[in-house]
Amino acid sequence: MSKCSYTLPIGPVHPALKEPTMFKFVMDGEIVKEVDVQPGVNHRGIEFIGMRRNPLQVLHLAERICGICSIVHQYAFTMASEKAAGINDIPERAQYIRTIMAELERIHSHVLWAGVAAHELGFDTLLHWTWKLREDVQDVLEYISGNRVNYAMYYQGGVRRDISPEKIPRIKEMISAYRREFQKLADAFLEDPLFKHRTVNVGVLTKKDALETSAVGPTTRGSGVPKDVRVDQPYGGYADLDLKPCLPEQMGYPNTGDTYAKTVVRILEVGQSLDIIEFCLDNMPPGPIRWEMNVNKVLMHMKKAGGEAIGMTEAPRGEMIHYVRLDPGDENVSAWKVRASTYNNIIAWQKMLVGAQIADVAIVAASIDPCIGCMDRVTVVDGETGKEGVMTKEDFYRLSVRKTRRLRRMKGKPSGGGW
Amino acid sequence: MMDINDLYVRMLLGVLAMLAAVVVGLAYKGIDRKIAAHMQSRIGPPLRQPFRDISKLMQKETITPDGAVDWIFHGMPVIGLVAALLLVLYIPWGPLSPPLKAHGDLILVLYLLIIPSLAMALGGFSSGSPVAAIGAQREMVMMMSYEFPLAIVILSLAWFYTRVLPGSAPFAFTTMEAAPIWGLVGPIGFIGAVLLLLSLVVVTPSELSKIPFDAPEAETELGGGLMAEYSGRDLAMFYIADAVKGLVMAAIIVGLFFPHPLSPIVEKYYALPLIMDQPVVAWIIDGLFFLFKVFLVLFATVTTVRVAFPRLKIDKISYIYLVPVSLMALAGTLLLYLDTLGGV
Amino acid sequence: MASPMWFEIFRQLFDRPFTNPFPVKYAPKNMHAVAKAIEEGKVRINPPVPVPDNFRGKIEYDREACIGCRMCIKVCPANAIEFVPPPDGGPKGGKVKFYMSRCTFCELCTEICPKHCIRMSTEFLMADTNKYSDNLVITDSGRFAEQPPPQAPPKPASPPDAGQQPASGE
Repeated sequence: MSKCSYTLPIGPVHPALKEPTMFKFVMDGEIVKEVDVQPGVNHRGIEFIGMRRNPLQVLHLAERICGICSIVHQYAFTMASEKAAGINDIPERAQYIRTIMAELERIHSHVLWAGVAAHELGFDTLLHWTWKLREDVQDVLEYISGNRVNYAMYYQGGVRRDISPEKIPRIKEMISAYRREFQKLADAFLEDPLFKHRTVNVGVLTKKDALETSAVGPTTRGSGVPKDVRVDQPYGGYADLDLKPCLPEQMGYPNTGDTYAKTVVRILEVGQSLDIIEFCLDNMPPGPIRWEMNVNKVLMHMKKAGGEAIGMTEAPRGEMIHYVRLDPGDENVSAWKVRASTYNNIIAWQKMLVGAQIADVAIVAASIDPCIGCMDRVTVVDGETGKEGVMTKEDFYRLSVRKTRRLRRMKGKPSGGGW
Repeated sequence: MMDINDLYVRMLLGVLAMLAAVVVGLAYKGIDRKIAAHMQSRIGPPLRQPFRDISKLMQKETITPDGAVDWIFHGMPVIGLVAALLLVLYIPWGPLSPPLKAHGDLILVLYLLIIPSLAMALGGFSSGSPVAAIGAQREMVMMMSYEFPLAIVILSLAWFYTRVLPGSAPFAFTTMEAAPIWGLVGPIGFIGAVLLLLSLVVVTPSELSKIPFDAPEAETELGGGLMAEYSGRDLAMFYIADAVKGLVMAAIIVGLFFPHPLSPIVEKYYALPLIMDQPVVAWIIDGLFFLFKVFLVLFATVTTVRVAFPRLKIDKISYIYLVPVSLMALAGTLLLYLDTLGGV
Repeated sequence: MASPMWFEIFRQLFDRPFTNPFPVKYAPKNMHAVAKAIEEGKVRINPPVPVPDNFRGKIEYDREACIGCRMCIKVCPANAIEFVPPPDGGPKGGKVKFYMSRCTFCELCTEICPKHCIRMSTEFLMADTNKYSDNLVITDSGRFAEQPPPQAPPKPASPPDAGQQPASGE
């Protein structure tokens, strides 16, 4: 009806956003017409810090990329650096323990997401109830690893702490408690008429859009794309499991790709994670937990080794890739690149937010479980004019040529093939 | 016509009533927060937290945003607070009849109830922030929606009293106090009265901008909405106005539907001669009973509701008030009408 | 409108709140005064949640046993460890210093230490207004009673019947 539209900024700091990022909406009344996402306020330069540290140190830096899914970053980095350094004999027991930790974290991340989603809807009671339930899995993570948030569990060639048989009953107790309690909570979400009113047909990502934007994780599975790294390229203990990607249709809800479908996927995945943990606990092979007990020897091995590799894990938010290059003789990580799952998913925001009401922005933005800290990129600002710009493909090409020349000058290497 | 001494007494009473309403309203806010916290398995803030909030806000800087219309922006909190405090003078407080009962009735109360919301909306528009403007638009839309069932409830009650008790003042609280509605209706009318009560109960949270009807403020969507730019003293004034309005809404429900005093029952069953001789004791008992009734109403209409529901979208809010709640109120009116037919 | 949550809400209204009221139930007006009163034993605080045995808390350092090999400095991800050269300037006898304000509690120094003279206690109350206060810079925690360290290297605990097998033999 109205011909005049106006611009509404949300962010960089806003109660709907748990981390700083910037939206600019062109609005028509309450309806969003255009979306512009402008990240770049939360970049911490972690990759650069990592290139000044040896792989053992980077393990704990990688863990601190994200506050929620800390272990998947460590997992991906561990796998990438192991492959790069040629460490292949990872004991099976260690692989199972890695899987258990990753799945415990998936539970805690999904439960946390559910609470955040409830909060975005102004449903604080559900938020507190969900987070109360989350304490249980946090306690178990603390019981296994010693700390609640940054577990420091993984390690090139194995894990650092064992899950001894006397610890298993406590974990099993948690699993059965979750099977009991979580169902009630899932009902509180999925059966609540007002929750349905706020999520059904809100923030729809069609299957076509999901494929085009190459969204990952529950965002894409909600649209019916069976994409899951744990199934497609199994790693760790997942190879022994018969897994299927969780799609909303398994719960009898069509794969519509709306926020409700994404909630269904996450609730299904909590159940799946419980099954995986139980399987891994029951079938954990005996044996050592490390390829090499002496930390110093591992360090020396990594210093001598050279190579590059990619580590891929299925984070609670979706596929996550770490690229690592090690140069022989250089004890530090020579190159490290993190492509977190949110980087794919924010592109889907463009499709999901257009046509939504302003009231839906919070829940739609939260529906991909954004982790800005994981994915944020730098903003290039002209120091003199204060103008912000967008880098194009040509700009990147020019910059990389310039960098190559600078590196050659520095190393005094003759030009040839190289990098 | 009152003489000059009476005027002074009334003014004194009025000021005291306003002060008491502010204190009691803030205390109920504290209780509300505490109970909501316990329902969410939290400890919650101490009961005196609202008072602390006010004293803190009073010390804070009051910021005027760029592009705000200065006098509207700073004037609206005053108007909102004044209107909320004026309401106090026209509403019966248990055993205490309204300080200005002869000068205003339910119609005036209806008008005064709109003013704080209107002041908030105007303040939001004048702040020059797009977020506040959206919040103000929503507040206006919501006001237009919930005023309709609210008016139906009050008008049909008044109409019912003119039918049943001809000659009484239909818009005065004293009429309801003298003869509560439950004693005047038959079984059909009883259902009608319950429906009217329910409509009023549904209107209460949105009158107070509480979840699920807090779309104008909507913390996670608009970051405070029409309150987004307010700070310091201005915010404190709106906060007090909100607390007083909560108390007033509960007092209206109590006054319209549950004006029963407790002292006759105590007197009848316990036959305490003390009460017969000392009206102060009866007054205290009735006062405490009134405060308890207000607490029950606030617990049922604000605390429980805001804990148990998520926030609704503005189009849904509008729909809820204009269709189901209005229909419910109209059905209540119809049943009351049928009841009067049967009675005649 | 009935939701499974309704029952839960009213149950929780009469339950004890889930929040752990450590150290005191409500935030006091003056935290420093309360902290002082707690130290003097005037205020009783609510106990914290117990930590597990393998909790990684404040570092303890056996200065006497340290040989100054600098291995811990090499692996510390946060550069929280400083080398203190020996007073005579010789090649041997250097010690280290831990800055807890930078520590990330990863336990790598504990694990790599050849003399097992670093260990992690279960103490976690380390808040301070000065990051270089004596509480947060660890130079010596005295001799450790027993030499075998509690955590490092972790024992490969497997089911009692299954013995330890070589890594590549699986």
